[in-house]
Amino acid sequence: MTVNSQVLDYIASEESFLDKSVIIKEGSMGDWMYVILEGRVKIKKQTSRGLLTIDTLSKGDFIGEMAMLKQGNKTRTASAVADGPVMLGLLDSVRLAKEWEAQPTRIKKLISNMIQNLEEATKKAADMIVESR
Amino acid sequence: MTKAKRKIPPVIKLNYSKGDLIIKEGDYGTSIYEVISGKVGIFVESGGTETRVAILGPGMIIGEMTFIAGSTSTRSASARALEDCCLEAWHPAMLLNAYKKMPDVLRLIAGQALKLIVRMNKIVVGLSLKEGQHKDSQTQELSDQWEEKRKFYRKRVSLECIFRPANSPKDLKIRGRIRDISKEGLQMTVKTSGLLNYTLIPGDELFISTYFVSDQKVNMTAKMTWLKKGETDGTISLGMAFTHMEPEDRKRLGFFLMP
Repeated sequence: MTVNSQVLDYIASEESFLDKSVIIKEGSMGDWMYVILEGRVKIKKQTSRGLLTIDTLSKGDFIGEMAMLKQGNKTRTASAVADGPVMLGLLDSVRLAKEWEAQPTRIKKLISNMIQNLEEATKKAADMIVESR
Repeated sequence: MTKAKRKIPPVIKLNYSKGDLIIKEGDYGTSIYEVISGKVGIFVESGGTETRVAILGPGMIIGEMTFIAGSTSTRSASARALEDCCLEAWHPAMLLNAYKKMPDVLRLIAGQALKLIVRMNKIVVGLSLKEGQHKDSQTQELSDQWEEKRKFYRKRVSLECIFRPANSPKDLKIRGRIRDISKEGLQMTVKTSGLLNYTLIPGDELFISTYFVSDQKVNMTAKMTWLKKGETDGTISLGMAFTHMEPEDRKRLGFFLMP
């Protein structure tokens, strides 16, 4: 997967992370968002049996979009941890938020609903993985 | 033929009873629903059983995944009324323009969310099947436990159409107005003055064409099942049952009828 050229235009700064470093911590506050420029990132969730990897994202994927597009609270719903050295692009959140706000109500409702579903599906998947072990 | 039919249908309210199937996995359909009251369960089918992946309540949206994925994809999950509920249906055309105009970044983010939901649901479904159906109350046999009552209903419309009897010259065009339409057939009114010298009797086969929401013309072949005097003078009302439709046109009709 490559990084869409339109997305590159939103990158405010580039940040590199070493293997296993925590990029986003579950439960913390924040609504900035990254796009993966190089490397892989593991998405982990805290469960009753410790930290569990539920997905691995790679080049071109976004991290942190859930908090950004969610209505209301900006708590991070999962942790993002570098899987090997990673280069990320921090997106211009002011510009993104402005463009997001300018969308018609129903479009916003539709997408934030999808983000909410993703949050629930992620939680459920994590629970199921724990139960099955 | 006027282009008035391109008007986007308004938002409509639909009521479902407990157990009704609202959306069926694998169907074509791009309508988006907002839950106004009641609870809706989202189910994914795998290996002959259904696993509930979500419960949605008021304010939540159903059917957005097919919309984001594009109209050529099928419904990725089924939705059923878990209790009596009221939904608001949005026609996708209402949102499509706005969605297309959205900055690429936002569209890509929505696309990623969709991809990840599908992945997460696969994990949930895969693991619930492994756990065994007896143990997990969220998984149930696909049986007649739920009543199949999708609202493929007879839709009231006022669509201009043109038609001609199957055995008439190809360039003949008679105007009519479709009053309601379902998967099985339609009812239309015709001004007798527009019939020229043609006499219509039940059993006749007609070629009918109309436009639903876009520029796409839909052709239907239907047999007349009944004919009666129209409600207004100088008109007749025809009941038609479809006998042939190209798959593409059938799909368009399906889209059109999906609330």
